[in-house]
Amino acid sequence: MTTPSSTSMTAPAPTGAGDTEGVRVAAIAAGRSNRLPGWFVILWRNGKCRFGLWMLLAFVLVAVFAPVIAPYGPRVDDFGLSEGPTGAHWLGTTARGEDVFSQIVYGARTSLLVGTVAGVLSTIVATAVGLTAGYLQGTVDEVLSFFINLGLVVPVLPLMITLAAYSPVKGLGLIIAVITVTGWAFGARIKRAQIITLRTRDYVTAAKFAGDGTARIIAYEIAPNMMSLIVVGFMGSALGAIGAEAGLAFLGLGDPATTSWGTMLNQASMGGAMTTGQWAWLVAPGIVLALLITAFTLINFGVDALSNPHLRED
Amino acid sequence: MTLLEVENLSVTYSPRDSAAVRAVDKVDFGIEEGEFVGLLGESGCGKSTLGHAILRLLEKPAAITGGSITFDGRDITHLDEDELRPLRWADLSTVFQSSMNSLNPVITVREQFADTFAAHPEAAGDRPDVDARAGELLEMVSLGRDVLRRYPHELSGGMKQRVALALALALRPRFVLLDEPTTGLDVVVQRDILDRLRELQRKLGFAVLFISHDLGTVMEMADRVMVMYAGEIVEDQPAGDMIESQLHPYSAGLLGSYADPRDEVVQVAFVPGRPPDLSREHAGCLFEPRCPVSVDACRTEHPELLPAGRGQARCLLVEQSPDDGALLRDVAPTDRLGGVFSADSEPRARGAADTEPVMVVDGVGKTYRTKRGVRTTTTRAVDDVSFALRPGRVSALVGQSGSGKTTIARLITGVERPSSGTIRFKDTRVDTLRRRAMRRYRRHVQLVFQDPFSALNPTRTIAYALGRPLRNHLGMTGEQARQRAAELLETVGLSPAEQYLDKLPGQLSGGQRQRVVIARALAPQPEVIVADEPISMLDVSIRAEIVELLDRLVRERGIAMLYITHDLLSARLLADEVMVLNQGVMVEHGPTLEVIGQARDAYTRRLLAAIPRPGRSRESWPDEPPNEAERVPAGS
Repeated sequence: MTTPSSTSMTAPAPTGAGDTEGVRVAAIAAGRSNRLPGWFVILWRNGKCRFGLWMLLAFVLVAVFAPVIAPYGPRVDDFGLSEGPTGAHWLGTTARGEDVFSQIVYGARTSLLVGTVAGVLSTIVATAVGLTAGYLQGTVDEVLSFFINLGLVVPVLPLMITLAAYSPVKGLGLIIAVITVTGWAFGARIKRAQIITLRTRDYVTAAKFAGDGTARIIAYEIAPNMMSLIVVGFMGSALGAIGAEAGLAFLGLGDPATTSWGTMLNQASMGGAMTTGQWAWLVAPGIVLALLITAFTLINFGVDALSNPHLRED
Repeated sequence: MTLLEVENLSVTYSPRDSAAVRAVDKVDFGIEEGEFVGLLGESGCGKSTLGHAILRLLEKPAAITGGSITFDGRDITHLDEDELRPLRWADLSTVFQSSMNSLNPVITVREQFADTFAAHPEAAGDRPDVDARAGELLEMVSLGRDVLRRYPHELSGGMKQRVALALALALRPRFVLLDEPTTGLDVVVQRDILDRLRELQRKLGFAVLFISHDLGTVMEMADRVMVMYAGEIVEDQPAGDMIESQLHPYSAGLLGSYADPRDEVVQVAFVPGRPPDLSREHAGCLFEPRCPVSVDACRTEHPELLPAGRGQARCLLVEQSPDDGALLRDVAPTDRLGGVFSADSEPRARGAADTEPVMVVDGVGKTYRTKRGVRTTTTRAVDDVSFALRPGRVSALVGQSGSGKTTIARLITGVERPSSGTIRFKDTRVDTLRRRAMRRYRRHVQLVFQDPFSALNPTRTIAYALGRPLRNHLGMTGEQARQRAAELLETVGLSPAEQYLDKLPGQLSGGQRQRVVIARALAPQPEVIVADEPISMLDVSIRAEIVELLDRLVRERGIAMLYITHDLLSARLLADEVMVLNQGVMVEHGPTLEVIGQARDAYTRRLLAAIPRPGRSRESWPDEPPNEAERVPAGS
């Protein structure tokens, strides 16, 4: 009779943990080095989402390398007024003599900046409020939930217009602030619901027994388990912010000093682009805006898979 | 004739980012009309996958990659959904593993039956009398007809399970697949349901494939038992023969997990190690790394499933011996097993019964008040309970679900405060501690959780989980904590520790996770450990391993342990004294052998009767009322 022999290079454990372990460990170790975050892998696997991510990457590259790509500055008005598309100006010039194509290229910066900053800010507000309310419960929850509900029932568009119209300062910062103030409530509500189910998990109790404090438990035990929800929230608010910026700018409530697709649309409509036959000036900002929003929508297919494992394609 | 014929069936999981795993490998068997067949194996050996394949319920990334399934002479391996639909439920039905969730929560039980009848007019008739037929079915599973009007949330777990069973039988199927149908229920309730199932099966004559990891139960219930290991059938024998002599060493290991807790000397065994990684090719016998009787040939030669005795076995030793496995039979049972844990009637060589107690619980009561509108209902969860915990000794707290066991654990650990009575840890009154003092107190009293899958944060490494208590309670630095964490892992038998420190809980098996949970409880060097059913979620075959570990820790470290359980066998193996709780009142209390040997309380006796004893007829307790102690939740 022989004793159980070892198939792995390591010594077998004294009481149990099997000999088949060693090989598995090596495989896992190999797979773990240079690993992308799990949520990104899931996004990348979805075909539609992958296409959306490529589109978004293209917009980001255009925004970053705008000075290289654009033939002129966005504010340079030394050209003929209200020209149609020509070889020199692919998309024509504005009523003030600016190059439309260059404005489109620089406009990508504004849209992406507003989307990212307002998305991040409202995600931070939503996460902080939602997690605190859900974890602490009691009076704190009552008070915070009141504000969440307030944020949900107030009609967003009139509030945004009022805030933007009556604010003493104009500028991109104001637009971002307005979008953040009006857009955080929904995310907070979802995160609060999620933490209520997570806070009773055994590992949270275990962390209390390990001597961890409330802040550490929220940040280190609970938040990592909500990563997919936080990503979902960010994508939603970023998309909303881009649309809201364009909308406010089109209504003339934006900062006239910044070049954005919304202000371009506003100026095109004010400058009578249709009557002078400058279709490109009017259509181009609309198309790029639609493309950017399409990119986000495609990414959302993957984001759905993040929040709902049943939709994952594997 | 053969009702279900499975030939050469293979199922492969092909996930996108890891190697394909052959979960079921060339499985061959048949089930006769009216036969009760058990399918055994530990978690992850492919038995549920096989069950799903037979019902054609596999979903991506799993797919049938070879072989065929023939039901009643018809090949159903490649039928499409429309062709399967008339077969399902009318001919092949099932009780799902999580049957708690298989009932639709928004419709009444009657409507669930009505839906089933309406979906199969060919089997149920055009205008079936739903009330009459469903009522009859419910009575068959020992439920009253009034259950028809109830919604699923108004029923207890055991009642839902009975409804699921009645639904499975509604169309008089010829084959029922039962995939661990009683998981998660109170042991006594489990026993009642299984006994009823066996009676019905004899009466109605349907064939059953019963999937379970609990060998004792399967042996008692089944006509024939198949044992599955690493995706292959390794043994197939009539149940009676299997009790007499197991052909495969793995079956012998599984059977070793059973013993009668009333015996003078109780000995249970376990199979150390884990199943092999099926995504790689293996040359020899798949069980060889864990096999205590393997020979050199086992490493290179893959055995075939060959006739042996009155059944079949997949083992070279059985193959080579001229007299059908006589070689194995000559080896004493305990020698054939990897690990053995025993307890005799002698007092244990650990803490004495008269040492100074570290924890004294004196006349403790806990009342819960629930407000519903203007009415306030009070529930007395724990009533006047007193006991003491002493260093190096284990006190087992036994009782059915809802008897107040967990409430006592919460009171001792300071999660809740008692409504009356005192709890004293050394010189500290636990019931009056404030926040900061409570955090300091928890250094001394730690908890081992029931469910190893929810007790560890899935996003944190093992080193982090073990490091937190070390840094918080013992004030260690990161490097010291890591070193100590490694020592702790070695202590609980996870060695070499370096392999485990940076793993995530998802990469460990249930038994390994439970070891990590135990290591974390040990980390702050506590004087008292409360273990809340630490083995009830684990496979029967590895339970003894964890019990052995707990026993060793108590002995070596002089820890006082409160062991909460409804498993009398593990209580017998581990505990010095047993306390039985019934509806919050302590009904029995005394040395282990005394309480278990001469059980007076009705519940203790029912627990004893519920322990499977393969090969021996279970005693019944004629003075017992036959109904199960289930309570319908209030407010129904």
